[in-house]
Amino acid sequence: MTDPVLYTSSTFTPQVIDAIQTRAELGRYHIRGFGALRNLPRLDDLVFLTASLTRLPLEGYREKCDTKTVLGTRYAKRPMELEIPITIAGMSFGALSCNAKVALGQAATWLGTSTTTGDGGMLPAEREASSKLVYQCLPSRYGFDPRDLRQADAVEIVVGQGAKPGGGGLLLGQKVNQVVAGMRTLPEGVDQRSPCRHPDWIGPDDLKIKIEELREATNWEIPIYVKMGATRVKDDVKLAVKAGADVIVLDGMEGGTAATQSIFQEHVGIPTLPAIVQAVEALKESNVYGEVQLLVSGGIRSGPDVAKALALGADAVSIGTSSLIAMGCNKPIYVEDYRALGTEPYHCHHCHTGRCPVGIATQDEELMARLPVEEAATHVANYLQAMVMETQSIARACGKSNVHNLEREDLVALTLEASAMAKLPLAGTDFIMGIGHQPGH
Amino acid sequence: MTQGTTQQTRSEPLPETVIDCSELTTRDINQALRDHAAAGTEAVTLLNPAGRHNLAVGLASPMRIAIQGPVGYYCGGLSDGITLDIEGNCGWSVGENLMSGQICVKGSASANAAATARGGTICVLGNAGPRAGISLKGATLIVRGNAGPSSAFMMQQGRLIICGDAGENLGDSIYDGEIFVGGRVASLGADARFEPMTDSDWTMLTSTLAPFDIAAQEYDFKKIVCAKELYHFKAREFSKWKDAY
Ligand SMILES: Cc1cc2nc3c(=O)[nH]c(=O)nc-3n(C[C@H](O)[C@H](O)[C@H](O)COP(=O)(O)O)c2cc1C
Ligand code: SF4
Repeated sequence: MTDPVLYTSSTFTPQVIDAIQTRAELGRYHIRGFGALRNLPRLDDLVFLTASLTRLPLEGYREKCDTKTVLGTRYAKRPMELEIPITIAGMSFGALSCNAKVALGQAATWLGTSTTTGDGGMLPAEREASSKLVYQCLPSRYGFDPRDLRQADAVEIVVGQGAKPGGGGLLLGQKVNQVVAGMRTLPEGVDQRSPCRHPDWIGPDDLKIKIEELREATNWEIPIYVKMGATRVKDDVKLAVKAGADVIVLDGMEGGTAATQSIFQEHVGIPTLPAIVQAVEALKESNVYGEVQLLVSGGIRSGPDVAKALALGADAVSIGTSSLIAMGCNKPIYVEDYRALGTEPYHCHHCHTGRCPVGIATQDEELMARLPVEEAATHVANYLQAMVMETQSIARACGKSNVHNLEREDLVALTLEASAMAKLPLAGTDFIMGIGHQPGH
Repeated sequence: MTQGTTQQTRSEPLPETVIDCSELTTRDINQALRDHAAAGTEAVTLLNPAGRHNLAVGLASPMRIAIQGPVGYYCGGLSDGITLDIEGNCGWSVGENLMSGQICVKGSASANAAATARGGTICVLGNAGPRAGISLKGATLIVRGNAGPSSAFMMQQGRLIICGDAGENLGDSIYDGEIFVGGRVASLGADARFEPMTDSDWTMLTSTLAPFDIAAQEYDFKKIVCAKELYHFKAREFSKWKDAY
């Protein structure tokens, strides 16, 4: 007998069927980690036009390509000086294990870059491991402490995240152990729902006053970043600039999280590619391009992603998920434990369960022990270093002696949608979708 | 020494110092307060605050500060250990994230009084606006008059004592801590419930309110705590969860 031909509904795909049945079981929406799983227009849809006869490439072995990056030059007495244009994004202790937080701090320190606290406050071991630490000020204010604020190298006011702009935080009870509950002033084991709005300010006019408060509390020494999930990017960036931000942190919809409603990850916000373009336009229209720096995140995985973000006008990028993958997230080890979660290596997005098979997104002592700090830090540092080298390779091939000299003119789009979003010509043409023919491109 | 303050040296702290805010920037005023704290000055009086935001923020010393007049947002915010008297009304978020110490507002406070405060005591002798004690994390907030809607929203620990009436949605999504109301409660928010008053509650109220010349026994205090029904999601209780999760 021949195998039957199987037809799959495009409306009710196996994933949709699973999602419906999951909701039927739970009686609530599905919560998971990671960012958007669906395909999105992304930086992959752009390619570089490197040097040939019209441009001279730089020689990799002989000619320098600078990667120094300075954030927070607008008002802060002590801007954030980084050796590389890649930082580690805010990921909470609570979502991540202590070992993971310390490893990220250690790796960032080796590479001369910054790491960031998260929802849940500053872990002393993290402060110690991180030579440059950004302290987040989130709506929940879990563990927020002016003493930690004074130890920080920058403050990041989190208005939103790319994975859940407009949504609040979630940490399911299995991760709220005694230590996490203590740091957050919460009852142990509670399903923690945190607010999406700050408790002490609401709109952009209030934000201006909040920023002044943080500056006064830190003697105007350290930069103040404002982090937002990418939605109405142009207006939001302009308002944050007007409120006095030193640095805009913009997180596209690919951006990861440890836990949120999957509907947010898939249906809310705009991708990183158009978000960067709109943010740069907003900074230019506000006459602060170069004065207020732009840090972008959401789906950054490689040197080419970094180089494209810089060429589009960002000052630096931030990574979350890929830094966890570098230290072993989704690695095919402890396979049985992935299966116990109902998943497989390469497919795991189960950070919300607290049962991370590789000891990263967990508070379980036994699982955490699977992540030796030194080894994890080395892997993250190696990965960062490789990404920087890739970025430099592209910059040199474009004839640039500084990665920050990469520019829009170095890029073209492979798809009509990327052309429209990036406002770049379609490869091999002088046509920009939405704008028309631009002879000379 | 910062301009506008009376002369003072580290070796000879004066018992009292006056700063006139009218000619100074907020930066100057806060820096002057910091300098005085470092010099060991015991008490400072600020004159002519004129509703200015961000006065006396981020201070971490046991200094006494008296502000003669109304202040704007965040007065005493992010502070640790100060004793602050505000002789007037105050704007949003007075005593925000206070770690320890005492703030007394002689007038009324606008929205978010004591937002996310972790320790110490904040007392508002007039009324407090909406969201008083929002996300409170361990401090005590006393309101001698009435408090607006959504007070103690998402409160995590500490005490909110309202001698007058409480607006709608009191204690919505509270995790822990205690709320006491001497007057009427317009409505309770999700997961808040009344609990009988005990003798130790009355003892605590008497001793907590006495320093502010408030006699606890004159009020018909009711106690509100967390019902703990939203601690863990339960599919069968949709009516509770539909507005909460
Ligand atoms: C495990 C995990 C925890 C996170 N926790 C926080 C947090 O506490 N605060 C925050 O602003 N963003 C948080 N984020 C989002 C990151 O800061 C960042 O915006 C995002 O990871 C960037 O996208 P990427 O993961 O694709 O690199 C978290 C992300 C992950 C993966
Ligand atoms: S392996 Fe761990 S960190 Fe990675 S997605 Fe799974 S639970 Fe999260």
